[in-house]
Amino acid sequence: MLFFSFFKTLVDHEVTVELKNDISIRGTLKSVDQFLNIKLDDISVVDEVKYPHMSSCKNVFIRGSVVRYIHLPAAAVDTALLEDATRREAAQASARAKQS
Amino acid sequence: MESLSIHDPPPAGEQPVKHQPVPPMVPQLPPQMFTTAAQLLDLTDKKLMVSLRDGKKIIGVLRSWDQFANLVLQDTIERIFVQNLYADIPRGIYIVRGENVLLLGEIDLDKDDYIPEAFQEASVDRVFTLQKKEAEDRKRKEKARSKKLRAYGFEGEHMGEAII
Amino acid sequence: MSFFGFDTSLPRDRGHQSTAPGFGQTHDPFAGLSQRNVSANDEVLDFEETYDGLGDQLDETDDAFNDDTFGGEPANQQSVGKDFDFSGQTAQIADTMKEEQMLYAARQPPQRQPSPPKKSTRPARTGYEKYSEPTYIPELQANASLWGMAPRQPSQDVTESYHRKHSEAVPPTSNRKMMSLEEVEAMMRAQNNLKSTTPQPAPQTSQPQPRVEQAQLPIIPPQQGPHPQGQFPNFSGPPQILQRPQQLSEQRFQQGARPPPQGDKQNQGVQHAQVFQRQRQAPMELVAHRSQHTSTPPGPRRTPQPRQILQNPNRLSGHGQPIAPSLSRPSHQAHLTGPMHARGPSYPGAVVTNPQQLLNLSDEDRAAFLAEDARRAKRNHKIHMLSLGNGLMTPQDKNFITRIQLQQLVTATGGVDDQDPEAALTEDFYYQVYSQIRGAARENPNQPANHFAQTYLFQTGGRYGLAGRRHPRGGDNHMQRMEQQVQRAVEAAKAKPKNKQLVIEGSLGKISFSNAKTPKPLLNLKRTDSADVRPSSAGRRPSRHAAVLDRKATLRDIENVYSDLMAMEDHERHLPPPLNENSDPESIQQHMEWRHTIQDLNQKLWRDLKVMEPIVPNSPVPHPFIAILSHPKGKKTVPRVFRHIDEQQRVTILTMIVVHLDTLDVVRNALLHHDEPKLSRMAREEVELFAHSVIPSLFSYINEAPLTIVIGLLGLVLDRTNIQNLVRTKIGLSILTMFVSRAEIFKQSSAPGDLTDSDWEQWLQLYNKLFDIAEPVLPYIFPGSVNDTEDVYVWQYLAAMGVGASPEQQQRLVLGVKDRVMETVNVSKALPPEIAATRLGHVNLFMRAIGLDVELLG
Repeated sequence: MLFFSFFKTLVDHEVTVELKNDISIRGTLKSVDQFLNIKLDDISVVDEVKYPHMSSCKNVFIRGSVVRYIHLPAAAVDTALLEDATRREAAQASARAKQS
Repeated sequence: MESLSIHDPPPAGEQPVKHQPVPPMVPQLPPQMFTTAAQLLDLTDKKLMVSLRDGKKIIGVLRSWDQFANLVLQDTIERIFVQNLYADIPRGIYIVRGENVLLLGEIDLDKDDYIPEAFQEASVDRVFTLQKKEAEDRKRKEKARSKKLRAYGFEGEHMGEAII
Repeated sequence: MSFFGFDTSLPRDRGHQSTAPGFGQTHDPFAGLSQRNVSANDEVLDFEETYDGLGDQLDETDDAFNDDTFGGEPANQQSVGKDFDFSGQTAQIADTMKEEQMLYAARQPPQRQPSPPKKSTRPARTGYEKYSEPTYIPELQANASLWGMAPRQPSQDVTESYHRKHSEAVPPTSNRKMMSLEEVEAMMRAQNNLKSTTPQPAPQTSQPQPRVEQAQLPIIPPQQGPHPQGQFPNFSGPPQILQRPQQLSEQRFQQGARPPPQGDKQNQGVQHAQVFQRQRQAPMELVAHRSQHTSTPPGPRRTPQPRQILQNPNRLSGHGQPIAPSLSRPSHQAHLTGPMHARGPSYPGAVVTNPQQLLNLSDEDRAAFLAEDARRAKRNHKIHMLSLGNGLMTPQDKNFITRIQLQQLVTATGGVDDQDPEAALTEDFYYQVYSQIRGAARENPNQPANHFAQTYLFQTGGRYGLAGRRHPRGGDNHMQRMEQQVQRAVEAAKAKPKNKQLVIEGSLGKISFSNAKTPKPLLNLKRTDSADVRPSSAGRRPSRHAAVLDRKATLRDIENVYSDLMAMEDHERHLPPPLNENSDPESIQQHMEWRHTIQDLNQKLWRDLKVMEPIVPNSPVPHPFIAILSHPKGKKTVPRVFRHIDEQQRVTILTMIVVHLDTLDVVRNALLHHDEPKLSRMAREEVELFAHSVIPSLFSYINEAPLTIVIGLLGLVLDRTNIQNLVRTKIGLSILTMFVSRAEIFKQSSAPGDLTDSDWEQWLQLYNKLFDIAEPVLPYIFPGSVNDTEDVYVWQYLAAMGVGASPEQQQRLVLGVKDRVMETVNVSKALPPEIAATRLGHVNLFMRAIGLDVELLG
C-alpha cells in the first residue's frame, strides 16, 4: 500500500497524469483509492486538439490501470520519509514471506 | 457523532487518568475519502464523458455504479471524432463493466456543447465509414509493427487496443 | 435529536429531504440561481434558527419508559434482566452480507412526507420494540446524515436551540446559504471559548442533553478544552464500516446497567423522547465507540481522526463538488455554497439583484450581465433536465458501496482503520507520518515537535529532501553558527588584552588529558603507524571486482543502520508513562524492560555502524564506517544516529572521522587541481550534503566539548592526516575551524581554574604546529578565483586562526592571504553594494580578528 499511502499525501496538489494512450492530463489531485484510480479536478489536457473529447470536461476519474506516469511536484515529496516508508514496506513484505 | 460535543462534561468519576503523553495526531483525511465510491459519489447524476478501452466515447448521465466502478449511464450518445469531423449516435441506456473504463470526465455544463473548432459535424454514416476505415488502417499498421517487433523479441502489452 | 437543533423527524418519516442535493430538485431548478444573488452576509443559515421546538412539546410527565431504558434502580450487572443480553441473540448471526441486506432493507427510503410536529402525550415508540424479536439485528444505521439526509448542522448549540421557542423555528429553505466550514468553526470556537471560561457550563436543568449522553455513552473519553478533534465534530467519529452486531448488544447491556440520570422532573420527558429519537441515529456510533475501546489497551492510545467526511450534507450526492478538499483546504469552501454543477461564479461583475441596478450599469456591463444570466439560465435548465432522473441511486446505495469499499480497504491493509495508531503506521506509514509532520500547523506553537518531526523534519534538505527546508535549518544554519562562534571568539579576544592570557595561563589546575572521554584509548590507535595509513593507501584503488562487492556490502551496512534507527524510533514512541514515587511495580517493570530494549537496540546500532571495527593499516579498502559515510544516504544517517547514541559514542564517531579526515570522499574528491578549477557536480553535492548533515552533528558536540577533547582531536588530525590537503577543502577547513574556534572560546569563557597551564601549553603547541604546516599553502586555500563567492568558510578559518595567533603569526597570516584580501576589495568595488558588503563582511571576519578592517585598506 506504499503507493496508495504516498498518493494520499498529494491530495490538493497539482499533478500531471500521463496515460498509457499518451494523453497527458494536468489537474489538481482530488482523491486516490487503493486501486490507484485517480480523480483530478480543474483539468487541462496537454494536447487538446488531439483529444477533442476531453475539451468539455472539468474533472476526471482515471482508472489506475491506464496510468503510465504521474508527474509530481517535487516539493510535496518528503524523500527521507519516503525512503523509510519503502524500507518498512520491504521489511514487512519479507516478514510476510517468511511467515508463509 | 453529532451527539458528542466538546462541551459535554467528561463522564464523572470514570477513567482514572493514567494517560501517557501521546502526541496528538493531526487531523487526517478520513479513509472514506480514499475509496472509489467517494470518487464516483459526486459524479452521480452528472453528465459524463466516458472513455472506454475500445476507444468509444460515450456521453451520458451517470445514474448508478457499484464498487467495481461498473456504471449505468442514461441518455447516452456515442461521439465519434474522425479527422476533422464528428458525429453523435444516440445509444440510450448504457451499462459499462468497470474494467472497460479508461476515464470518466465530468462535463462542464457551460462547455457542454463546445466542440473544438477544428471539428465539424457530419452525418453519422459518413463519420462511421471514415472511422471504420481509419481503424482498419491503424490495425494493419499496428499488426505490421508488432510483427516486426516480435521478430526482435518484443511482445506488445496491449496489442490491438484502441488509442483514444 | 431536537436538542441539537436537527430535524427531529425520524428518517423513516422523512424520506428524501427535499433540500438534499440529488433529490427533489425538480421543483426548483433555479434555486441555485437565486442563491447566488443573495449577498453573502444576510441569510446565513443560523444553527439556532433551525430548531423547530419539538422538544418543548414533549410530554414531560410520563417517564414510565425510563426504566426500560436505564433500569429501574441503581443497577449492577446482575440486576439487569436478560432481555438486554442481545449479544447472546445476535452472536449467532455471523453472515455479514445478511446484515447488509437487513441494513439495506431497513433503510429503503419510505414515502416522502413532511414531518409534522408530534403532539402525542407519550412517545409512540420507545425505540426498543425491535429488541423483543428474537432474531433482531440492530439496525446498523450509519449516520443518516452521512448522505445528506438529516442534520443540517453540528451539534454545538445544544442549550440554545433547546430553548428556542417553537414559533421561532424556521424550516431550512433551499435558498438559504449554508454556513461554510470556516463559519461553523468560528462559531464553534467562539462558543468553546465562552464555555471554557465557565468551568461548569450551565445548570443541569438547562442542559439535559449531555447528561443523557453520559448515561448512554459511559465510555467516551473526556474531552477537555479545545481539542483538535473537537473542531470537527462531524469528523471525529470512528469509521463506519461493517460492524459486528455483538458489540452493539454489549453496549446496550452496559447501558442497561447504568442508573437512570437523576434529572429534574421536567426533563425526564425530554430525555425520554431524546432517547428514542436517538435510537435511529445512535447505534452505529455506539458500536463504533464500543469497538474502539474494546480494541485498544488502556490509555489514550487511540487517535481521534476525522472520519466522517462524507457526512456533510451539503456536499453529497450530486453536488459535484469535491468532497475532501473542502475539509483539508478551507479555501475551497466557496464552492460548497455554489449551486451544483457550477464552477463557482464566473461572472466577475457586481451582483445584480433588481432591475434598477441593471439600468445603472454601463452597456458593456449590462451585456455581460445579460449574457451571463442567459448562460446561467441555460445551465440551470440543463441541470433541471438532468435532475429529472435523479435519485436512481439512493444515498443508502452509495453508503452501502462506500462501506463495502472501506471494508475492502481494511482487509487489504490489515487494519488501517484500526484505532491503534501503530497498526495504521505499519501499513500507511508515509501518509500517517507525513500528515503528522506536515499536515497541519501545530495547534500550539510551543508544543514540542513529535518524534517523527524530529526524525524527518530536521533533516537536511537540498535536493535530498525539500527545497524549502534547506534554508531555515541545516547547513546554512550551521554555517551561521560557525560564523557566530568565530565572531564570538573575535569579540572576546578584542575585549581581553593579549597579556591577560598569560595570567590565565599562569593559573593552576590539574592535568587531565587522558580522562574517560579521551578518544585515544577508545580506539587503540597506534600513532606510529600513522605515516603508513595515510592517503597513499586509501588512495590506491582496489580492484574493480572488489570495489563492487565492497559497495554492495557498504550499502547493506547502511540499510542495517537504517533498520536499527527505525526500530529505535519505534521503540521510543512506546516509552511507558513516566514514573513517580507511587508507581506500581508493574510500571517500574515496564520501564526496566523498555530501557533494556533500548540499550540492546543501541548496541545493535553501534555494531552496525561498524565504528569499532579495527583500523587496518595499508588496507586497500576504506574502513567500513568511512565507507558508510561515502554514500549520500550514509551521510544522512549521522544526524539521526546522533540522537540515539551517548556522548561516549559520539566522541568515538567524531574521532573516527577526524582520523580518516583526508580519506573521506568529501575531502579526497574535493581537492582542486590545476587542470580542473571547479569541482564536479557530484563532488560538490557530496560536500554540501556532508556540510549539511554530518558537520552540524559534529559541531554541536564540539561546541560543548572540553578542551582536552579538542586538543586530542586536533592532535590526531595533525598526526594522521595531510594537513596541506585538508586545508584546501571546505570540509577540512570547517573541521579545523571548529576546533580552533572552540579552543579559543574555551580559553576566553572558562573560569580560572578550568583551564590548566599544561592543557593550554599543549594546545598552543598543536596550534603552532597547525599554523606552521598550513602556512605555506595559505594562498591556495581559497576555492576558485576571486570571483568565487563561496569562500566564507575560508575567512572563518582565517579568523579563527587569527584570534589565537601571536602578533608575529598574525603578520604571517596577512602575508599569506593579502593577495586575496586585496583582490576581493578591488572586485567588490565593481559589485552591487549589497553583494559587495557581504563579501567585504566575509573578509572582515578575518581582518577584525587580527585587529584590522577592510576600511583601512581604502
